[in-house]
Amino acid sequence: MIQFENVTKRYGESTVLDQISFKIDPGQFAVLIGPSGCGKTTTLKTINRLIEPDGGRVLIDGDDTGVINRVQLRRRIGYVIQQIGLFPNMTVAQNITVVPKLLKYDKERCDKIVHDMLEMVDMPYEQYAQKYPSEMSGGQQQRIGVLRALAASPPIVLMDEPFGALDPMTRSTLQDEIMRLQKKLKKTIVFVTHDMEEALNLADVIIFMEDGHITQMAPPEEMLKNPANETVKNFLGKHIAAADPSTLTAADFMKTNVVTVGIHKGIRACTAQMMRSNVDSLIVTDENDRYIGTLSVEDIQPHGKEDATISELLRTDRETFHTTDDAKRCFDMLISTKANYVIVLNDDGTVAGIITKTSIAKAIAERLWG
Amino acid sequence: MYGGELIRNIGIHLMYVFASVFFGFILGMTLGILLSRAPKYSKIVLPILSVFNTIPGIVFIGILFLYLGMVPMTVIIALSIYAMFPILKNTYVGITNVEQQYVEAARGCGMNRRQILFKVELPLSMPTIIGGLRMATIYTVSWTVLAAMIGLGGLGEFIYQGINLNQNALILLGAIPAAILAIVLGFLIDVLQRKVTPRGIQKEVRAK
Repeated sequence: MIQFENVTKRYGESTVLDQISFKIDPGQFAVLIGPSGCGKTTTLKTINRLIEPDGGRVLIDGDDTGVINRVQLRRRIGYVIQQIGLFPNMTVAQNITVVPKLLKYDKERCDKIVHDMLEMVDMPYEQYAQKYPSEMSGGQQQRIGVLRALAASPPIVLMDEPFGALDPMTRSTLQDEIMRLQKKLKKTIVFVTHDMEEALNLADVIIFMEDGHITQMAPPEEMLKNPANETVKNFLGKHIAAADPSTLTAADFMKTNVVTVGIHKGIRACTAQMMRSNVDSLIVTDENDRYIGTLSVEDIQPHGKEDATISELLRTDRETFHTTDDAKRCFDMLISTKANYVIVLNDDGTVAGIITKTSIAKAIAERLWG
Repeated sequence: MYGGELIRNIGIHLMYVFASVFFGFILGMTLGILLSRAPKYSKIVLPILSVFNTIPGIVFIGILFLYLGMVPMTVIIALSIYAMFPILKNTYVGITNVEQQYVEAARGCGMNRRQILFKVELPLSMPTIIGGLRMATIYTVSWTVLAAMIGLGGLGEFIYQGINLNQNALILLGAIPAAILAIVLGFLIDVLQRKVTPRGIQKEVRAK
C-alpha cells in the first residue's frame, strides 16, 4: 500500500505539491492525470524519492520511505520513463538484469529472469536477448523498458507517461499488454498520463490533480458520472458524452467549418464561391449573420448567367435544429428525408454548423470502436 | 650514419610521449570526472585551465627547467600537463553530455552515484574521452620535440642540430619520423577507440 500524508513540495516560491494525502491499495492500477504542471510527475517521483518532499511523509506498507536508504528503496520499486532510457551500451538481456544484478542475484537466476521476462511479452529469447536498443523499434524498446522495471519482481511499479512517445497503434497494444501483465502479476501500478482515454482504459482508480492538489480520486465510472468540477469535466470531454448517448446534442456532431454567403451576393459570386470551396450548396445569411435559407447548385443552374441576386432563388423551407437539440432527432431527420445535411443554429439564429451523413457514420464508429 | 642515433632518439621520444600521455590521461580523466560532479566549479575552473593551455610549451618547459634542472622529469611533467588538457575537457564534456534520460533511468533503477558513473556515464562518454586521448597523443608527439631544447634528446635533437648547422637533411631526419609517429599512434588509438566503444552505440558514433 502506498500512502501519502500531507506531502508538500516547493520549488522556490511556487508550491508544486500542496499537502496532498491519498492511499493506493495493493494491486491497484492508479492513474495520475491532470493539466501540465499539476504535480502528477512530481507526485510519482516522490514515491521512489527521485524527488524529496519538503513536508509530509510517503509510506509504503506502513514504512516511512524517508528513512529507508533511497538507493535500496528504488531497487524495490520498478520505474519506467517516457524517454524509455534503455542503456544503449547494454544488450536487451543486460538491460533487463540491471536491477537483479544490483541486488546481487547470481548469473543463473538472472538468465532465468531474462528468459521469463521476454517470454511474457512474446519476444523470443534467441532473437532479442543479444540485441542492442538501437536495433529495435520504439515499441519494442519500451516493452524492454517495462521488463527492466519488472525484472526484480518489485511489488510497486511507477510509470511516467510510458507510452507518451509511441504512435497510437503501438500505444494501444502496449496498454493492452500492461493491463494483462498487471492482472497476471498483481502489481501496484502508479501511472502518469495526460491522456484521459488512456486513463479510462487502464485505471482502477484515477487521481485527478490540479495546481498541486487532488481534485478528485475515483474509479473511472464514478468520475464519468460525477466529475468533481469543470476541469475534470473538460478533461473527460467526449468520453462523458460517449458514456451516455441520450445526452448527445447536435453540437457534439456538427461540422463547424461551413460555407456561408450574404443574401445580397449575386449569382455569379455564389457560383464562384461554390467552386472555390468545392461544395454544391451554400448557406445564406442576412447582414447580421443570421440564417435565412440555403442555395444549392440545382437552384442556380436554370439562371446560369443572370445578373440577379440570390434572394429569389434560395430555399427557406428547410427544418433547422438548435445546438442543444437531441442529436438523435437530427439523425432521424437526415435518414427520413433525402437531405444531404441539416443545419444547426445558435441561440441568436446564426449558423453553428451542419450535420451530414458522414457525421452519423463517425458517431456510430466511435460508439462501436471508441 | 645516423642510424643508431635515430633509433635511440625515436625510443627516447616515444618514452616521453608514453609517460606524458599516461600521466596526462590519468590526471585528465580524474579531474574531468571530478569537475563533471561539480558543474558549479567547472564554470570557474575550465576557463582558467584553458588560459593555461595557451601558454606556449616552450615557456613552461623553460620555467620548470629553472626549478628542476636538466632531468627527464622536467619534460615529462610539462608534457603531462599539456596532454591533460584535451583529455580533461573531453571527459568533462563527454560525461555532462550523456543524455539525462539514461541518468534518470539509472537512478530510478537504484544505482548509486558510483554505479551510475561506471556503468552508464563513462561507457557512454568513452568515444569522446578517447577522442581527447587521440588529440593529446598527437600533440604530445610534436611537443616532445621541445625536450631537445634543454638537451634531453628525442627527435628534436636532429631538428635543433639541423637548424644550428644549417643542414636541412638533419631537420627532416627529425621531422619525418616525428610525423610518422604521430600518424601511427593516431591510428592505434582509432583501433583502441573501436575496441572501447560499447557495441550498442557504435553505429551512432560512426554516424556522427
